[in-house]
Amino acid sequence: MKTGLIAKFLLAFVATGILVAAAAEFFIERQLKADLIRWVEDEMTAEANIIALMPMEEIAKHAVELAERTRSRLTLIDAQGRIIADTDLRDIEIDSHLNRSEIQQARLKGNGSSIRYSHSLKMDMLYVAFLLGDQKRPKGYIRLSRSYQEVTGPINQLRKTVRQNLLLAVFFSLLITLLFSLRLISPIRKLAAYTEKARMGNIAGQIRIDTRDEIGTMAENINTMVDVLNEKIRNADEERRQLQAVFSGMVEGILVLDPCKRIETINRGMEEIIGSRAGEIVGRTLLEAFRNIPLHDALERFRATREKVVQEITLEDEHPVVLDVTISAVQGKDGGEQKTMLVFHDVTRLKKLERIRTDFVANVTHEIRTPLTAIIGFVETLQQGAIDDRGKTLQFLQTIHENAQRLNRLVDDLLILTGIESGETGFHPDWLSIDGALDQALTVVAERISEKRLKLIKELRQDLPPIRTDGDRLTQILLNILDNAVKFTPEGGTITVSAFPGAEQDLIVRITDTGVGIPKGEISRLGERFYRADKTRSRELGGTGLGLSIVKHLMKEHQGRMVIESSPGHGTTVSLHFPYVQEST
Amino acid sequence: MEEKRHTSAEYERELREIKDGLLYLGAMTEKALEKGSIALLERNSELARQIVCEDDQIDQLDVMLEEKCIRLLALRQPAARDLRFITTAIKITGHLERIGDMAAKIAEKILILNDLPQIKPYIDLPRMVEIVRGMIRKSLDALVRGDVEQAERVRQEDTVIDQLNDQIFRELLTFMMNDPHTIQVCLYIMQISKSLERIADHTEGIADMVIYMVTGKVVRHQPACVENK
Repeated sequence: MKTGLIAKFLLAFVATGILVAAAAEFFIERQLKADLIRWVEDEMTAEANIIALMPMEEIAKHAVELAERTRSRLTLIDAQGRIIADTDLRDIEIDSHLNRSEIQQARLKGNGSSIRYSHSLKMDMLYVAFLLGDQKRPKGYIRLSRSYQEVTGPINQLRKTVRQNLLLAVFFSLLITLLFSLRLISPIRKLAAYTEKARMGNIAGQIRIDTRDEIGTMAENINTMVDVLNEKIRNADEERRQLQAVFSGMVEGILVLDPCKRIETINRGMEEIIGSRAGEIVGRTLLEAFRNIPLHDALERFRATREKVVQEITLEDEHPVVLDVTISAVQGKDGGEQKTMLVFHDVTRLKKLERIRTDFVANVTHEIRTPLTAIIGFVETLQQGAIDDRGKTLQFLQTIHENAQRLNRLVDDLLILTGIESGETGFHPDWLSIDGALDQALTVVAERISEKRLKLIKELRQDLPPIRTDGDRLTQILLNILDNAVKFTPEGGTITVSAFPGAEQDLIVRITDTGVGIPKGEISRLGERFYRADKTRSRELGGTGLGLSIVKHLMKEHQGRMVIESSPGHGTTVSLHFPYVQEST
Repeated sequence: MEEKRHTSAEYERELREIKDGLLYLGAMTEKALEKGSIALLERNSELARQIVCEDDQIDQLDVMLEEKCIRLLALRQPAARDLRFITTAIKITGHLERIGDMAAKIAEKILILNDLPQIKPYIDLPRMVEIVRGMIRKSLDALVRGDVEQAERVRQEDTVIDQLNDQIFRELLTFMMNDPHTIQVCLYIMQISKSLERIADHTEGIADMVIYMVTGKVVRHQPACVENK
């Protein structure tokens, strides 16, 4: 393309030059030839005319001289066409010359001319013939002839000159064209290079062309265009980056399906939801990636109706995840094939909370109703006459009392829990040793420990640092844990209380029992209110189902945590981690 | 498996539909087994009845898929890789359909068992169900990815199921010898265990077909080579 334009210019110029020159040569040559022939013929006719004044004998006698003077070959022919004299006759031509065209013309008109090939001279000749005598009684003919080269010689000479000049002209015009086109082409080349760079997406600066012609205008336009384009690209880039940020920053998982139902892109939220498999699902179909029937059905429903579909699905990996999926169309260019967008909202936690809430309401009603039913039942029995039986009355009153107390405990626990949760009953921390609270808690359960003949082992290091805590709260925590340990350990079991500094700047109080233990699946739910691992037994033992819940909240106030490990049938270990809180004041 | 694009988008779509159909069927059978496990453990007869009903759906899907495969064979006259895939697909749907039937059979047994007293907590059966479910999942994973190693692993797992089946058999034998009253329950449990073992065999069949599809090698009727790594 780069040499193209120049080559085209040059070719056009050369072609035009040659064409013009050829035309000129053709016409000039034709004209010149005709003129020259006429001129030579005229001259020869004039000479023949003069010679004709002489008598034939004289002519024959002076033929050689006459021929020399007229620079022609002279032939004298008698009326019968026989040659009388010829100045340049190499072979004697014996045939009649009357049939020669110039002679025939002369016999009819008085003179004639022709251009013929002479067999005797072996060359093209120009003949002029003149009639001697008059047309009625011709005496003979004078014929002058000259070589045709007399005409073609100058013409060839001219042609040669013209061609030489032409070559020179073409050469110079080529040179001029080259210079001109180079000048013309350089800004075009600049433009081409610039637009090529722009095409590759590498636009830097503007193009500078100083000509004031159309190319200059074009450069100006390109500059403006590039500016506008740059601006647009910058805007689009910015927009894209913002969208990208939103896309990847969203907590919701987003998954885009291409028109062939393959997964095209997923965002970081989606990667987090599906975990380790994230890398391999792109390019697969939903079924391949998730193997989830409700999800597939929802997609099919969406494809059938093209209306937004909302569906709850459960992905069953190691940890089941409950997801709300919203399927909607991504509006493509008009008429183009549509992509589909799936937004996954992780509602696992929400579902759990919902279950806890409904469980709580159901539990609290149940917990309150059980003792109330007992109380009402016994009171009614008393009213209906049992009050007269003193023994029964005392027994019933005892039961009523127990149930009332249970209700009381429940309400107390609920109040404590609510208090802690709302933060109303203030937390008054102080630097305290663990010993005091532990002793207090142990005193409360001491009686029951000895009743069940449990073995209590205390492994307390003497140099334990004090922790930042509220004495009453600490007692409550320890009491609740110990209470559970005592409750769920069968007679003759062992309870071990130990305290030692932990690895993470904390103090660990560990209470281990040899009780019934807790199934693995239940441990995570133990902090929930009213959640009981073993429902019947716990209630029999007088638990409210709130103890561990209270501990959990209290530990949160201490900025600590509670870890429960257990193996069913062997016992449970509760570890309380109290951090050494750095008090800033 | 790298997926080559076909010149005809329509053909491409039909092939993918078959693949998706297989996965759908697989997911359904897997779900049926999961429900079966829950129905057994929680003695939930309603769930068991549901499984029996859903087997019809599996059967219908099987017929539909097979028709699709045959249509494709007739109309497109696939060659090489596609031909292997389609013939494999026909066989795999057969296996999946049989798995569905087994699941329905198990559900029927569960219905009866739930009306009889439980002699001991189920421990090995749920384990078997879990492993078998995993095998179905893995064999279909192998199909999706064209993963021969995965398919080979499924084949190896079949031996675990055989062992569990034997173990259950021996355990139940002692129960029956101790107390003839338990014979009825024990026989039903044995049938369930046997069905699970058959399901495992079918998944092994699927894995075999995947290996054939990818490599062209026929590994059917050959014992899985257990590598010691």
